Amino acid sequence: MSAVLQSLVNQPYKHGFVTDIDSDVAPKGLNEEIIRLISSKKNEPEWLLAFRLKAYQHWLTMTEPSWQNVHYPKIDFQNISYYSAPKPKKKLASMDEVDPELLRTFEKLGVPIHERAALAGVAVDVIFDSVSVTTTYKQKLAEVGIIFCSISEAVHNHPDLVQKYLGTVVPVGDNYFAALNSAVFTDGSFCYIPKGVKCPMDLSTYFRINTEGSGQFERTLIIAEEGASVSYLEGCTAPRFDTNQLHAAVVELIAMDDADIKYSTVQNWYAGDEKGVGGIYNFVTKRGLAKGRNSRISWTQVETGSAITWKYPSCILRGDNSVGEFYSVAVTNHFQQADTGTKMIHLGKNTRSTIVSKGISAGRSNSSYRGLVRVAPTADGARNYSQCDSMLIGDQCGAHTFPYIQVNNNSAVIEHEASTSKIGEDQLFYFAQRGIDAEEAVSIIINGFCKDVFQQLPMEFAVEATKLLSFKLEGSVG
Amino acid sequence: MNPTIRSDYLDFLRRYWPNVQSEAQNWLNQLRINAFDHVNAQRLPTRRDEDWRFTDISPLTQLTYSPAKPEYNLQASDLTHWQLKEAKNRLVFVDGHYAEHLSVIDNSLQLVIGNLPDFASTHREMLEAQLGCHATSDCNVFTALNTAFLHDGAVIIVPKNTVVEEPVHILFIATQSEVTGYPRCLVLGEAGSQITLIEDHVALTQSAYVTNSVTEIDLADNASVKHIRIQRDNALAFHMASCAVSLARASNYQSISISLGAQISRYNLGIRLMGEAAECAVSGLALIGDRQLADTHTCIDHSKPNGISHQQHRCIVDDSAHAVFNGKIIVRPYAQRTNSAQSSRNLLLSKTAQIDTKPQLEIFANDVKCAHGATVGQLDPDEIFYLKSRGLPDLVARDLLTYAFGAEIIQRIPVASLKQRLEQAILCRTQRQS
Repeated sequence: MSAVLQSLVNQPYKHGFVTDIDSDVAPKGLNEEIIRLISSKKNEPEWLLAFRLKAYQHWLTMTEPSWQNVHYPKIDFQNISYYSAPKPKKKLASMDEVDPELLRTFEKLGVPIHERAALAGVAVDVIFDSVSVTTTYKQKLAEVGIIFCSISEAVHNHPDLVQKYLGTVVPVGDNYFAALNSAVFTDGSFCYIPKGVKCPMDLSTYFRINTEGSGQFERTLIIAEEGASVSYLEGCTAPRFDTNQLHAAVVELIAMDDADIKYSTVQNWYAGDEKGVGGIYNFVTKRGLAKGRNSRISWTQVETGSAITWKYPSCILRGDNSVGEFYSVAVTNHFQQADTGTKMIHLGKNTRSTIVSKGISAGRSNSSYRGLVRVAPTADGARNYSQCDSMLIGDQCGAHTFPYIQVNNNSAVIEHEASTSKIGEDQLFYFAQRGIDAEEAVSIIINGFCKDVFQQLPMEFAVEATKLLSFKLEGSVG
Repeated sequence: MNPTIRSDYLDFLRRYWPNVQSEAQNWLNQLRINAFDHVNAQRLPTRRDEDWRFTDISPLTQLTYSPAKPEYNLQASDLTHWQLKEAKNRLVFVDGHYAEHLSVIDNSLQLVIGNLPDFASTHREMLEAQLGCHATSDCNVFTALNTAFLHDGAVIIVPKNTVVEEPVHILFIATQSEVTGYPRCLVLGEAGSQITLIEDHVALTQSAYVTNSVTEIDLADNASVKHIRIQRDNALAFHMASCAVSLARASNYQSISISLGAQISRYNLGIRLMGEAAECAVSGLALIGDRQLADTHTCIDHSKPNGISHQQHRCIVDDSAHAVFNGKIIVRPYAQRTNSAQSSRNLLLSKTAQIDTKPQLEIFANDVKCAHGATVGQLDPDEIFYLKSRGLPDLVARDLLTYAFGAEIIQRIPVASLKQRLEQAILCRTQRQS
């Protein structure tokens, strides 16, 4: 059985191709000059340059962390080009003026942008390498007062908002990679939902990494004012390269009183080949601040790509009655490594958090759940429920859980459960009895295993994720 | 993190090391010398070290306590409070030194039991192969210190296929203040043997002292040990302990450890299941109040197929006390069909009490059943309501439920008189003034 199915695994990465566009690439290396260059290329105000330089100074004093359960050769930060932008052409008025080469790339990805935007009613803020090329549906959003644009645009058009919130959730010196990002970030998305506005459509960005050797340092900032709500989708694919690429993004979410932010990710970046060569290093800092009363921040992620995934989308529950949620599926195959989880920091009264994490390891991969639930002395009546399940496919992979629970308040109620299992012979036999072959049975079992998380995804992502998973794991069971 | 940690703490202890370099041909001295080299190569852990993240030992490093000298002015009558009528064999160590006149050895049992130096030449081969091989000196500076300062120690060898019904009581008494004691145990269960051990740490002094204890247990095929460990040091004491257990094929280790005393206590329990179908059951209870800190780190390492491990750890934390639990379960590749369950349940009784718990799984085999769970909470209001509806006052109902939470672990102790005494002790601790 396994031999037949084996042929179905190891399918080459469908999205692996390099788009041939002239890129404006900065020389390799990181120093103050490069930061000034990025800042001047982007025509940034003085305060932002100061922000970058402060972060750079922090970064210089920090050492690369080593506590994580992932292994990779040491990154030479001087051997990375920190800025690459498609050569500027004249300002684009409509989709037709977008570089046809670029549009073809999206077609190859199976996401024709205008079609997707038109059919699905999704406004896609396209990030191609590091500069935002086009933004659709902006006008429609502007009618209700929503600002949705690239962060460099926001720096110019809404400097007060950016200056007020940038770096408030993830401070410049928060961690090694966040400091690096703060120093050299090139672009990303900015979203501002004004008071009382329910965003009429799901917002989404599409991230890709293009120029070989250029790390991508995205910066996303989402602010939901009092009573506002928004659902934000992020999907990722990247072309195949043999040298490892570093991706160190920072995402900051801020929810005021009664606001609701839902952030969903499907990550399918190049994971390296079956021998573990190449692939993206995905070292991301994502954090949401539930600042106001009754606010809610929800993270949903489906992590299937990247050679190394290392991220902990977190919630700081500061407002009373605020809610934090984290739903995650992490799939690793071949030599992939994932160390992912969440932090729920309960500060306000009656704060609640839910963590559901599903890890699936196949091949020689390793996946870890690392989570922290902290209840501060001020967080009376805090409630947390955590569940992290692992499934192992094959006998050379590993699954690990590192749940930290720190409780400083006796009115807290914390529950944590974890289990590890595999797809049983008897389960497969049961399916076989009913005429369902092993491959389909595995797909059904895996989807059942991940159901709790997929239910949280917006419709189109849920469909994509289900397909992605069965495609990723086809034939790993025998 | 802790600027107050005295870097010269180890230097201070080193000065008291009896230099045995000249007698290195003696195997015990060689062991001490090796351990001392390890002490020199290591530094004291700080909260920067992952394993010591929640346990700040800087108060300990402020102390300059020299190793305890032997003092034998205790009488057998001083021990009545701790005597167990079931135990026919009793080894007594006063501040880490063997007290022959207080110990009772029943020669009718086929046990090799007594003080380490008495067997150093008669059982040399056996001891040399085991002593210091389970609790190694390379990764824990306190274990290295204990081995470097090794003098007396309890040695128990259970011969092949011998079933010892009566429990063996190993009593460690702290009598001197401001000294460091180095208790040591070595237990070897030969194939098919069975024994019950009670490792009991108690205090006769009211002032501060340091206990640095190491226990090693090696079980051959089909051997079985029940290990009951009671730590009831006084409220000012520091208790650093480690226990290393190696299990061969189909052997069985059961541990019940109760932590009641000490200002700061740390217990490292490492169990290695090195043979197929080995089994262990680990229960723990920490009942603390005031400003006590009780830290339990366990590591259960499955390296062969068909292993079974069950773990249940409970903490009851009152006042401004702080309980730490870190339970790691490793399932190595090829340890297929491992069945492992772990649960950490914690009860916080006051607003300032603190819990840090981390049940941790590291799994490298696919055909396994592993689960862990952790809960932190208060007493169930429904249960309190039930008792109140039967006429119990609120405080009595709470005390009763707190007692029940801890008593579940005590119930597992197979020695009736000890169980009864501990139940009494828990009852006293959980009955607060109304």
